[in-house]
Amino acid sequence: MSFLTIEKIKKSFNNETVLHHLNLSIKEGEFVTLLGPSGCGKSTLLRTIAGLIHPDEGTIHIDGKNVTEVKPKDRQVGMVFQSYALFPNMTVQENIEFGLKMKKLDKESIKQNVARVIELVELTGKERSYPRELSGGQQQRVALARSLVTQPKVLLLDEPLSALDAQIRKNLQKQLRSIQQELNMTTILVTHDQEEAMAVSDYIYIMNKGHIAQSGSPHEIYTRPASEFVARFIGNYNVLSRKEISNLFNDDNGYTRDIYAIRPEAFSEAPVKDGYEITGKIQKMTMLGNITRYELEVNNVCFIADHLHKIEEDSQKRETITLYLNRKDVISLT
Amino acid sequence: MKRMNGMLLISIIPFIIFVLLFLFVPLFFMLYSSFQENGGTGFTFSQYMEVFRNTYYHQAFKNSMLISFFSSLIAITLAVFAAYSITLFSKKVQDRILVFANLTANFAGIPLAFAFIVILGNSGLFTLLFKHFGWDLLNSFNLYSWSGLVLIYVYFQLPLAVMLIYPVYQGIQAQWKEAAALLGASPSQFWLKIGVPIIMPSIAGTFSILFANAMGAYASAFALTGSAYNLVTIRIGAITTGDIFARPELGSAIATLLGLTMVLALLINEWLTRRIRRDLS
Ligand SMILES: Nc1ncnc2c1ncn2[C@@H]1O[C@H](COP(=O)(O)OP(=O)(O)OP(=O)(O)O)[C@@H](O)[C@H]1O
Ligand SMILES: [Mg+2]
Repeated sequence: MSFLTIEKIKKSFNNETVLHHLNLSIKEGEFVTLLGPSGCGKSTLLRTIAGLIHPDEGTIHIDGKNVTEVKPKDRQVGMVFQSYALFPNMTVQENIEFGLKMKKLDKESIKQNVARVIELVELTGKERSYPRELSGGQQQRVALARSLVTQPKVLLLDEPLSALDAQIRKNLQKQLRSIQQELNMTTILVTHDQEEAMAVSDYIYIMNKGHIAQSGSPHEIYTRPASEFVARFIGNYNVLSRKEISNLFNDDNGYTRDIYAIRPEAFSEAPVKDGYEITGKIQKMTMLGNITRYELEVNNVCFIADHLHKIEEDSQKRETITLYLNRKDVISLT
Repeated sequence: MKRMNGMLLISIIPFIIFVLLFLFVPLFFMLYSSFQENGGTGFTFSQYMEVFRNTYYHQAFKNSMLISFFSSLIAITLAVFAAYSITLFSKKVQDRILVFANLTANFAGIPLAFAFIVILGNSGLFTLLFKHFGWDLLNSFNLYSWSGLVLIYVYFQLPLAVMLIYPVYQGIQAQWKEAAALLGASPSQFWLKIGVPIIMPSIAGTFSILFANAMGAYASAFALTGSAYNLVTIRIGAITTGDIFARPELGSAIATLLGLTMVLALLINEWLTRRIRRDLS
């Protein structure tokens, strides 16, 4: 049963179509990510859901109600902006209680609700600080608390973590996910970081130039990219043409599509049944933490292969390496 | 790095000399001479005593402060709305309006007074025109009075205020408005709780500048009313040029007090701002 339904949403700016009749359907309590490169229309879609942008065509339903013509404040959506958009003249406490005051809640329930979310986002003790006295991560949590406290039906997050450094970002991703699960909050996250999307989402929509390029669970998207764009965007996929594939395997049986993808970690050093055996020249070897990445060349085809790093690695001296690949790991793309 | 600093210092020397010659030297001489007997013959407080005793000077200060306060208040109130409406135009139109504001802000002093006399004076264009049509709109208005003076002051204060306040609105992030709207605030609630408190320090700062600008204005008032209207700057002008005989020491004492008034206004302003915006302290 879909909780948030977006049907045939179209939006243009100055005769340039930014959203091309998009359809999305999101279940209650689901954590959905809109993933795509800069300028593909992620923010525009999110702002359309919030009601900050009016679509040219299409409808938006939240919890069974058509909200396409409903004002932002009556849609019961919360939004966290990339720039946090905290009110600089208000303390943490005042920022968080703003939404409840606008709803004219009584003093006692305001106090209780605010105290609860402050605890939830772990900002206890910062109630009287002003935004400029907080770190980026703390400001982001205030922004989150400010949206959560009004108990929205849908929480929208527009690249909430992209301004933070890697360490804090990882921590906040976890925190965000656990808060979302604790509250069973229907959440849409916008990001252009595919790792972030994979780490937190139940479901991912990959966007490209105002279209949905592919949607599915993180696992589906990662293991079965549908197009060259997705394969290139979500990881280090080897994207190879039909000619390159037949050169690589010395076999053109059954390869009729134009383009294929192979995950770098699909190559193994142990023989696989009914697989290919490939002996390649090592062009370059890079350590990526627990992974060793080989850049290899076979019959003028270059590709990369990843291996879990082993202590007794001696390939520095080796010039070639023999790898094995299962046929089903050669993914055809459109 | 050291070398850079040396070069910087050298390049800043002309500026320092300029500031010394045209700011500190005159300031120093003004202070020095305000404590001198007539003719500069010895140290005394008598110039200040005279200013404090003479009700004529009290009145000058009162008039100056009143006209400065009211013209600044009117100008800033209008400018807050005017500058906001400017931000709603396209960038091109905004730039044009600002150029115009810049021009009019510099249109002050004798030419301005003359322009007003030509238009609204006793035999001004509009005065005669309205008389001709039998309209008595301007009958109760006298350009050479307090209201005429306020009009002229507002005229040169308003564009300055618009130019100073206009950039302030650029500091209001669109996302604050959006965040407030999503949290259930109406536009007027946004301005009341967030917009105005955020721009308040800048408005107060602009008010200080306008107040000082008006307190120091001389030529427009002098051209319009001669020395008939009792303002501090007109008093200083009269005393230092001397209708009967010049008394630069007394003029210096009044000028020093005028300066102190502006500093005081600035401090009050600062204090008020800090009370309103606790997050800035
Ligand atoms: N208000 C607007 N007026 C005109 N064009 C706009 C407006 N908002 C967005 N656009 C255009 O729409 C396209 C999509 O913008 P959008 O902000 O949705 O991208 P995005 O996917 O969020 O990118 P990013 O990752 O950089 O934030 C861009 O080409 C942008 O220039
Ligand atoms: Mg964006």
